[in-house]
Amino acid sequence: MIPITLTVNGQLREGSVEGRVTLADFLRERLGLTGTHLGCEHGVCGACTVLLDGEPARSCLVLAVQAQDKEVTTVEGLSGSEPLSALQRAMRDNFSFQCGFCTPGFLIQAWALLKENPRPTEEEVRHALSGNLCRCTGYQSIVAGVLAASTRAPLESQQEGSL
Amino acid sequence: MIAGRPPAERYTGSSVRRTEDLRLLTGRGRYVADIQVPGLLHCAFNRSPHAHARVLRVQTDVARRAPGVVAVFDGWQMAKLASAAGGMMELMGETNLPSFSLLATDKVRLVGDPVAMVVAETRAIAEDAAELIEVEYEELPAVMTAAQARDGSLPPIFEDLGSNVLFGPDQKVFGEVDRVFAEADRIVKARIAQHRHQNVPMEGRAILATFDQATGELVAHAATQGVNTSRQIIAAQLGMPLEKVRVLAFDIGGSFGLKFGASREEVACCAASRELLRPVRWIEDRLENLTVSGQAREESFDVEAAVTNEGEILGMRVEMVIDSGAYPGFAPGIISTIQEMIPGPYRMRALSFTASGVITNKATYVAYRGPWASETFVRERLIDLVAAELGLDPFEVRLRNLAERGQPPLRMVTGPSLAGLTAKESLLRMGEIFNFEEFRRHQAAMRAQGRYLGVGVATYIEPAPGPRPETPPTELEWARASLGEDGVVSVFTAQMPHGQSHQTTMAQIAADQFGVDFEQVRVVVGDTDQVPEGFGTGGSRFASMAGGAALHVSRQLRSQVLELAAQILDVSPATIDIRAGEVVGDGVPDGRLPLSELVKLARAAAAEGRIPQGTETSLEASFGFDGGQGGWSGGTHCCVVEVDPETGRVRVDRYMVVEDCGEVINPAVVEGQIRGGVAQGIGAVLLERSAYDEWGQYLSSSFMDYLLPTTTDVPNIEIEHLQTIPLDQDVNFRGVGEGGMIVAPPTICNAIADAIAPSGAVVLEQHLPPTRILELMGIIPQPA
Ligand code: FES
Ligand code: FES
Repeated sequence: MIPITLTVNGQLREGSVEGRVTLADFLRERLGLTGTHLGCEHGVCGACTVLLDGEPARSCLVLAVQAQDKEVTTVEGLSGSEPLSALQRAMRDNFSFQCGFCTPGFLIQAWALLKENPRPTEEEVRHALSGNLCRCTGYQSIVAGVLAASTRAPLESQQEGSL
Repeated sequence: MIAGRPPAERYTGSSVRRTEDLRLLTGRGRYVADIQVPGLLHCAFNRSPHAHARVLRVQTDVARRAPGVVAVFDGWQMAKLASAAGGMMELMGETNLPSFSLLATDKVRLVGDPVAMVVAETRAIAEDAAELIEVEYEELPAVMTAAQARDGSLPPIFEDLGSNVLFGPDQKVFGEVDRVFAEADRIVKARIAQHRHQNVPMEGRAILATFDQATGELVAHAATQGVNTSRQIIAAQLGMPLEKVRVLAFDIGGSFGLKFGASREEVACCAASRELLRPVRWIEDRLENLTVSGQAREESFDVEAAVTNEGEILGMRVEMVIDSGAYPGFAPGIISTIQEMIPGPYRMRALSFTASGVITNKATYVAYRGPWASETFVRERLIDLVAAELGLDPFEVRLRNLAERGQPPLRMVTGPSLAGLTAKESLLRMGEIFNFEEFRRHQAAMRAQGRYLGVGVATYIEPAPGPRPETPPTELEWARASLGEDGVVSVFTAQMPHGQSHQTTMAQIAADQFGVDFEQVRVVVGDTDQVPEGFGTGGSRFASMAGGAALHVSRQLRSQVLELAAQILDVSPATIDIRAGEVVGDGVPDGRLPLSELVKLARAAAAEGRIPQGTETSLEASFGFDGGQGGWSGGTHCCVVEVDPETGRVRVDRYMVVEDCGEVINPAVVEGQIRGGVAQGIGAVLLERSAYDEWGQYLSSSFMDYLLPTTTDVPNIEIEHLQTIPLDQDVNFRGVGEGGMIVAPPTICNAIADAIAPSGAVVLEQHLPPTRILELMGIIPQPA
């Protein structure tokens, strides 16, 4: 067992894990943050995407011990004290998702995109989300949600109090 | 898209935002893998590496001794705890069923067949221990093709069936087939292949079973399309009385036909919980899901069309072979629908349909979104082949053959009435939306520059629910509704949404019919202790059947409540109404009485005996809906593709839908269903195939090998809704879940065929990945 310390959604968390435990399993099973989903456990579907020091990362491919001293943001941390962040509201208004299983990965990936590029074109959105699989929607509604979030308000004000 | 509250307090027909989203967008959904239970055990399976083999010995002692392992069951041990008899296929009335067990005992019949089960303190320990199990096999030749199954040269996969032919050939003839073939100017013949591919929901199969020693009840949290169906199977296979099994379901990560009933692994998980007296969970991983959860649609068709030189299709002869895979599945059950639907919305006068089914060492044939869809694929591809043969435009050939609406309505040659048909309108409207003539000019210009563009059209209808049957249906869809003390209307349904937004759409209907705000309706799903009878979600059944049941039950409860209010307030029921959650009208004190107040008054009045006999005081109603006058869903899709002759890659440039799914409950939800189905169709044609080698090794067991469409493969999909022809006085909602996936594959294949026709290519198959395109175009050699 290896002791680890990391920040998750702004809170300092400690634990001790076997070396082989993935960050995804650590978040879901030890911290009870089940919003991060596992759709393949081999790095393709993107459902498990979290922000690791602000960059999207597939938590099924990262070991928990690799997150030592890092900052992790999961879908549970996207709205801060609000019920929904502006991105989540835009996704809701656009009926972006159906079954919801892919949702955490798309939200995190979209969040990272908008932070880097607050006014993406449709093509840029599609490109940024092309590593995430959704089996339900055909993607149009997800892309529309991200575009709506980008035009709704500058990202800075969206993020206030919500990261 | 309209968000938020619709005008005029009418929710039905508006894009009311989904209630499901508050939890799903914040990571607070609850899928089976998310449930936290103290003392939870996890299971994993040792699975066969062979497609077909005898099991000689299963050695589990090393695994059993591994730290953290609680139990290991081999096939014989599991057979003492639970049986595989009484499964989904028995429930569906299939009879020619072989005997087998939940975990393999004497034989394995496909790669991935479960041989032993490990139950351990963690999933990782269970998976490690499963690898410590040693199994000795004697390999048998694998049956991998229909030809091998039919020629009888290989040993039977199920000894008790005696052969690898599951059924048939069974022929059925409608109309005067020989006569129309004799009258025809030409016979167009083709052998058309429908490849094996699969559902691939983003969440695999999953179950968490807890045997409660206090009550003797087994409680299973399941990922299922119908809790009642799962309960029936679990109870039957565990040998428990139905009332001792409770199945719960909540959020489900998609299914598309896969998660019906309870699979062998899921029942084994329940059996382990009962045996070990601890909660046990199984979460299928992606490798298992792709390899053994089930696959769909491997069929081949020999078709002949009797046609006139003007392009009239007089009739068809169809011989179909379906590959059912190893264990009993959906294949025999779907034949009658394929047969009935193959004439589609066209006027043909005769059909001969012959079907047979085979057993092979591949994954079981399961239902996948529009399970009968190959009828549309074969017919719509054939129409384009007829057009090519006659030198006519495929659009014209469709137009000439589509049935008109008439009085009395025309019938399909297979029997069903075509009342309310709007197929022709959908095609004509497509002709207005897309300028075919202009495209043909553009196509020719591009062709001169060495570019391959194509357009494809396909038209279909779907029985969702279909015309009202002549003999009244025996199976009703039930809804129950109650008014609570908080003034909230609860609607209970056996439907089990797994992405379809039923908790939103059903609340829209109930709110309108009862007269309350949308927020004042609670839709209860996923608990066998609470929901009414009914098999669950499937067959595009929700909108018409469950939506209709919700409509009627809400009306019924409303009139019960009004009558009760009239008694209590001593007014005539005709002078009062329910609006926005309040009883309003003449004689109502202050003109308005909130429903919550009414419930309290009613309770008090009933307790004091102030309500006359015969007045319903339960504040509950139940309604079984038979589908009313029914009707068809359907429409026309059209797409434009460009094929790159260098790489064989197909790009879908434009995709258009003209759709009639009856009265729309929630346009945004409907459009999401259509787009999701079309995306799956794009995947089926361009990317997805469940591939085996000749020895039965599965070649597509990861997302690196089984490719799903992504944001860059699926274009924006333009949708237009046709004005429907109402057939029923009250309920004209029709199902829309399956249509996109039914008609997209032929639409795309027709477009590709059109694009590559100048190279001399003829498309007789559905799966067209880049290499296949290059082969068909003669750019690379065909395989030997
Ligand atoms: S679960 Fe991590 S990428 Fe699929
Ligand atoms: S909404 Fe179901 S997988 Fe994306």
